[in-house]
Amino acid sequence: MIGLALQMLRADRAKYFAMILAVALSIFLMQNQASIMMSVFAMTGSQIRDVSEAEFWVMEPDTECFDQVKPVPASALYQVRGTEGVSWAVPLTKIDGYARTEFGKLSVVTMMGVDDASLVGLPPRILKGKAEAVRERGTVMIDPGGANLLFPGEKDVIGKRVRIGSESLRVVALSDASAPFTGFPILHMARTTTLMLRQAEERDTTFIVGAYKPGADVAAVERSLRERFGLKALTAEGFMKSSRDYYAAQGIPLLFGLTIVIGLVVGTVITGQTFMMFVKENSRHLAVLKVVGVTARQFAGMLAAQAATVVFLGCCFGTALAAGTSELARELPFLRGVFLPGWVAVATCVALAAVTGVAVMVSFRTIQQLEPAAVFR
Amino acid sequence: MTTAPEIQKTAHANARWDAVACRGVKKHFGEGDARVEVLRGVDFGATLGEMTFLVGPSGCGKTTLISVIAGLLDPSEGKLDVLGHQHGELHGTARVLFRRRNLGFVFQQYNLLTSLTAAENAAVPLIADGVRRGVAVKRATELLDRLGMGDKAGVMPKVLSGGQQQRVALARALVHEPRLIICDEPTAALDHKTGESVMQLLATAAVAPDRAVIVVTHDNRVFHHAHTIAHMDDGVVTHIESIKH
Repeated sequence: MIGLALQMLRADRAKYFAMILAVALSIFLMQNQASIMMSVFAMTGSQIRDVSEAEFWVMEPDTECFDQVKPVPASALYQVRGTEGVSWAVPLTKIDGYARTEFGKLSVVTMMGVDDASLVGLPPRILKGKAEAVRERGTVMIDPGGANLLFPGEKDVIGKRVRIGSESLRVVALSDASAPFTGFPILHMARTTTLMLRQAEERDTTFIVGAYKPGADVAAVERSLRERFGLKALTAEGFMKSSRDYYAAQGIPLLFGLTIVIGLVVGTVITGQTFMMFVKENSRHLAVLKVVGVTARQFAGMLAAQAATVVFLGCCFGTALAAGTSELARELPFLRGVFLPGWVAVATCVALAAVTGVAVMVSFRTIQQLEPAAVFR
Repeated sequence: MTTAPEIQKTAHANARWDAVACRGVKKHFGEGDARVEVLRGVDFGATLGEMTFLVGPSGCGKTTLISVIAGLLDPSEGKLDVLGHQHGELHGTARVLFRRRNLGFVFQQYNLLTSLTAAENAAVPLIADGVRRGVAVKRATELLDRLGMGDKAGVMPKVLSGGQQQRVALARALVHEPRLIICDEPTAALDHKTGESVMQLLATAAVAPDRAVIVVTHDNRVFHHAHTIAHMDDGVVTHIESIKH
């Protein structure tokens, strides 16, 4: 009977495609919005994640997220290095400023001054040039978004210059830095170059990053830094979570969540409505089947097969559309951080299938209440 | 030259109905002021090997009576025996399965599923009973061939004429070899010539020693096919005529 049910479903092409389209658009909307939300929140930790060597981050106690710039005292580096359980620690300077190019492009930029000796703090992958080149005073490494924004249409940005304040810095490498939450270009440079710009506050170390000694008590290190020196220490994961929570508290998830719920409601209402209409319009045929002896269980199987087909195809198309959109977005330098998490794809499909299941149950009830004797009239 | 059939009136009480037997069957709808008595003590039956016609004016209760016989409606009162099963003996799925295996239906409006071919339509009772689709469609095609519709087996109902659709419906009623066939106005939507050919087909293909056929009809031009004619009026069977062919 399932084969017949699918044949009946496919025969009404208008409704069949309308239902698949409704599911696909709903899935696309939900996945697209969820994907953007997840990507945006992932971006709040981009620059933390990029410092892959760092197991902990030390900062001012008031700092809640990466984008808040509040330097630590100059003595903090030595206090951290002298704390029991710390294997190594290096300074990291993060400052914001304005960059201009010879073409007249102007943009706010995020500058990351990394330890000259270790270069800890540079992104893990370099697309062009060499990481070591930034040790030279007055040189910078630029991210793809920044290169695109400051040097539009330029295939190779190596050797180009950006002016920050009164200093002209030469681009020596193109990094693969993760897309930042702020959307500003990310310029990596040695700390000596950062200091040269003199745009930071008087104190020039924003963060201290480092690693624990093997077997160190992480909580004890954090406690010691807090109690002895008034410094806040977080693991890399903890700092990413703190950054995420900071932005989440500003209502971003609520806005995206609303759109996701709208997607779910619109998709399921259209699918459910069309499905119920399909059942209603076929009520005479269904009554005939009831008369010739199709059991309630068989009807349930038929409806489930029809709904499963629509949901499966709709989910496939919708997910393909959402994944395709994500991939296209990633081609744009500033949207390179957009991704569609697998669990989001699965969860949205399951949510839509569950709500469509309700429509199937309502339709089943309609069939149960169908008066088979009506076929004689 | 054909001989006119001999008509004999039968007393209800003495009738030997071995396929269907209704004794004092009543059926009402609604309650209180809205209560409508549709069947008011029907004595009616059908015999194996015969074609029994149920005739009467519109609204006299014919459709309700066949719905009760088919197990689609429950009688309010009275005794009902269908193929050896008393009413009330079977419930729920058991009743559906009994209907699936023992009853065949032909409707006035054919009621073919528009999305299925003629053969698939005819095969529905077999498929519903768990017969593999390929086997069921093959058996249905063979039956359609016997009913003169072999070349239309793969055709969709919308391109068939009314008479052809009714033949497909007849195949659907016969394909699972039921013991009781219930036809509701099978010729009402057909012109006289086509209706006559459908009735001819029904008489030859459906009537068998171990099968009873009940035909509800208004069409007195096809009465000559009947072995028995039960006249109904105002919710009761007023008289039954036996016709000797």
